[in-house]
Amino acid sequence: MKKIPLCLVLLGLAGCAQVQPWERDVLARPEMSLDNAPLDAAIDDHIYFSKEASSGGRGFGGGGCGCN
Amino acid sequence: MKDNDSFNATLAAATCALLGSAVAAPVAAQDAGSDWSFDSALLYYGESDGRVSDFSAAVSALRDLGDERKFSATVTADTLTGASASGAIALDRPQTFTSPSGRAVYTTPAGAVPLDDTFHDARFALNASWTQPLARLYTVSAGVGFSTEYDYTHIGANLSLARDFNKRNTTVNAGVAWSQDDVKPVGGLPIPLSQMLDVDNNSNKLGGSESKDVLDLLLGFTQVLNRTTVLRVNYSYSDSSGYLNDPYKLLSVVDPLTGDTLARVPIGQGPNGVYLFESRPDARTKQSLYAEVKHSFGDPVMYFSYRYMTDDWGIDSHTGEVRLRWPLGEGYIEPQLRYYKQSAADFYRASLVSGSALPRYASADFRLGDFDATTVGIKYGHGTPNGNEWSIRAEYYQQTGSVPSEQIIGNQANRALYPDLSAVIVQFGYRFRP
Repeated sequence: MKKIPLCLVLLGLAGCAQVQPWERDVLARPEMSLDNAPLDAAIDDHIYFSKEASSGGRGFGGGGCGCN
Repeated sequence: MKDNDSFNATLAAATCALLGSAVAAPVAAQDAGSDWSFDSALLYYGESDGRVSDFSAAVSALRDLGDERKFSATVTADTLTGASASGAIALDRPQTFTSPSGRAVYTTPAGAVPLDDTFHDARFALNASWTQPLARLYTVSAGVGFSTEYDYTHIGANLSLARDFNKRNTTVNAGVAWSQDDVKPVGGLPIPLSQMLDVDNNSNKLGGSESKDVLDLLLGFTQVLNRTTVLRVNYSYSDSSGYLNDPYKLLSVVDPLTGDTLARVPIGQGPNGVYLFESRPDARTKQSLYAEVKHSFGDPVMYFSYRYMTDDWGIDSHTGEVRLRWPLGEGYIEPQLRYYKQSAADFYRASLVSGSALPRYASADFRLGDFDATTVGIKYGHGTPNGNEWSIRAEYYQQTGSVPSEQIIGNQANRALYPDLSAVIVQFGYRFRP
């Protein structure tokens, strides 16, 4: 039962997308990319992984370090 | 007629432009296809009071092979030095501990939270990934990773598949990652809940190494909401099994009335109190839900993210982060704010009470305790005339924790119990195309 509302939300979001390929001027800017600073993100993940009990979320769980 | 001529001229120009671009496009794509680009960073991370400091250098190379095929490789080197909290509690007398190697002792002054200052390490890591279209609307990515430290090695691999829908306004992706880590601590692996012994007595330590396997699954959904806003939502599941202890973490065994650590008389050199090595379960399952939004208000871009994590150790956490990138001259300035809050693991214990039955699992590692953390930072990026970018980022990180009141015994109430942590992070970055 819990999955049904999630599906509806996803469908609803899909329904609101009216952005055509020629309207992507803003979205195409490098800083609008969701992964525009991968090295910053990796450094942050590594620091927080070693100091906190949570990791990952944005990508895979991180790790590969004896620091936690 | 005049209008007609003008129309024809426009049509001709448009046709030429289209033809021209059609001819030029593959050449441009080929030029781009032979390009390497690099992203590099130098990082300093320094905790206050002479605790951990880390110098790190990372270089990432990206090769765009055209047709949306990309290869990237990142090399990172770290050197860590300094002291980290061992988990033992502060006392009104100086405390002596056997160092992890088992060959020397170190002393913590009266009133101070014990720090193990024998901590130093160098780490080298290599990650590589490949991305390419698999069929129309499908993209596949695969990666491998390796890292090594004095007492730790890691190997990992991951695979992701993405599919675009809805005129590429929606992307659904699924990924799996696996890793195996091996830990071989300095001085051997302490038997969980065994007592810290005198120098040169290694009867509570096991030789060899232990390993940990981690399986991660990720289901992601990216949606263009409008011309200026994009949303990403990820669900992650992570299963760790094997050796999950921190072999250097301790618990103090305390008197049930005074709350002071039981005294111990060393034979030769050794600890002057009773300390046990921690014991964690050998499995952990984490789940997280992550959402981020990027929105452009004209030139400025705002990023917001939230993550909820829960695991079967009893830890729940909330993380929120916001960044605002504001154009400034040839570059941009980007203030950043992050807030993190976690609850303690079920087996977190500030200390163990003498005379009570030993729990099966116990850890006084502050990272498994109840705390919150704030990061405040700012980044400045500057574009060069030839399209490269240098940047500098400065952040301040502050953790504030507490021990549950029911775990505070006797004299402990008058002492620092949770070692608050603050750190400065400075990063210099340079992105360039040779």
